[in-house]
Amino acid sequence: MKKIALLSLTILAFMSVAFGQAKKPIIMVVPSDSWCLRNGFVQEFDNMGTPISVPDYSAALLKDPDIRAMITSLSGFMASEGYPLQSLEQELKRIQNESAEMAMMMGKQSGGGIVETPIERLRRTAKADIILNLDYTINKLGPNQHVEFNFQAIDAYSSKIISGITGVGDKISTTSSILSCLQAAVLDLKDGFLDNLNSYFYDMSVQGREISVTLFRYDSCPIDFEEEYEINGFYAELADIIEAWFADHAVSGRFSLDSKSANRMRFNQVRIPLTTVNPINGRETPVDANGFVRDLVNTLKKSPYNLVVGRTPKGLGEVWITLGDK
Amino acid sequence: MKRLLIFSLIALVCSCVCFGQGKDRRKSFKSWDNYEITTERVAVDGTKFVKVWGFGKTVDKAVMNAKRNAVHACIFRGLPGAATANPTPAILKDPDAYVMNQEYFDAFFEAGGAYLAYINMTTDGVPSGQDRRKVKGGYKVAIYVQVMYDNLRRKLENDGLARSLNSFF
Repeated sequence: MKKIALLSLTILAFMSVAFGQAKKPIIMVVPSDSWCLRNGFVQEFDNMGTPISVPDYSAALLKDPDIRAMITSLSGFMASEGYPLQSLEQELKRIQNESAEMAMMMGKQSGGGIVETPIERLRRTAKADIILNLDYTINKLGPNQHVEFNFQAIDAYSSKIISGITGVGDKISTTSSILSCLQAAVLDLKDGFLDNLNSYFYDMSVQGREISVTLFRYDSCPIDFEEEYEINGFYAELADIIEAWFADHAVSGRFSLDSKSANRMRFNQVRIPLTTVNPINGRETPVDANGFVRDLVNTLKKSPYNLVVGRTPKGLGEVWITLGDK
Repeated sequence: MKRLLIFSLIALVCSCVCFGQGKDRRKSFKSWDNYEITTERVAVDGTKFVKVWGFGKTVDKAVMNAKRNAVHACIFRGLPGAATANPTPAILKDPDAYVMNQEYFDAFFEAGGAYLAYINMTTDGVPSGQDRRKVKGGYKVAIYVQVMYDNLRRKLENDGLARSLNSFF
């Protein structure tokens, strides 16, 4: 009897480790737009007469040793916390290599190439769930210089700032290397940042992950979000029915309807559980935005709606649902 | 005249009640609420460089008390910022963390306890000058210490009192 109890406990512990864990957000350090602009690491485009500047991360990482050193310091302490960061530099290289290989690949029997639509190509970019925006300026005053730094951790889906830390480094002589000051800046922000991140994860574990869901309508869709259906003897618009679904499925019914029109709906601050039972295999699995809306998509496919519905994940915390086509 | 005398007496009693307790706490050598700590500068990776005060009947006891205070601040209070250093958050956020784990922390902070493994003295010898003050009942001294902050945090994580980033996933 004792042995059975022990075995059951071991299996339970294994299952909770194997299946009950939440999906881990990907964190990436990125030089801020303003830093790229100040240091000339931008690509300029002419968008129908309006000049647009886009940060050129590849050039920044290739040419500026200071930003590389700061990213290395940040990555170092995060790795020592058991939470390695995704390298922006390596991710950019991987995408570049992937594109080259995909262009060269050919089927062994058919000789056909890899299919990729323009939208798929556009989405194949470096992505992270939490972006660490890094910015610093070196101020020179007479024979001295000091570093002012600004560091923000941003949730990529809600655009909320998880952690924001600013600081001023020690004054050093202009003849001294600025690298030690930059490394001191990273050490200075380290504990505050880790603490904020810890609070963010704790909040997530208690109140659920915060996601955004956007619903669009293709012009091929026979109905719009203002179409009325009879539910339990009441007439309700499709938008209201979808809203009621979110109220039923979000953790504690917590969500915000950001915008609503005949063709588009956007929900944000939707709190979802970290794990759920997967209807396909019946196991408790980690859930993200894409998995969370699976039930909504299935509902819309069935009677009385009978719609063609597509869903496109945009990362752990954002998903697009399209009505009328996939 | 009699009324004035009674009023003065009441005022005196009230002031004793209001401020007497604070004075006692200020005097107390054992109170955890009663120490001062400042961050000196950004220290090397994984450590904190602080100036911390302690009380004791002798200078040696005051120095030991200061060391305990430095570790206590890192765990429960957090370290204040300085002109060129950001504040350091407390490792444990819950204000009742000590009470909830009384047995653990009493053993941790006992004389010669585990807390000493997280302290490096940066000044040798007995504090002197402004950093050594004779007060009623003993000494108040300030020492400069390096606290092994990351090691301390990991210890508390391993003992299940604090949560690491990885533990959420």
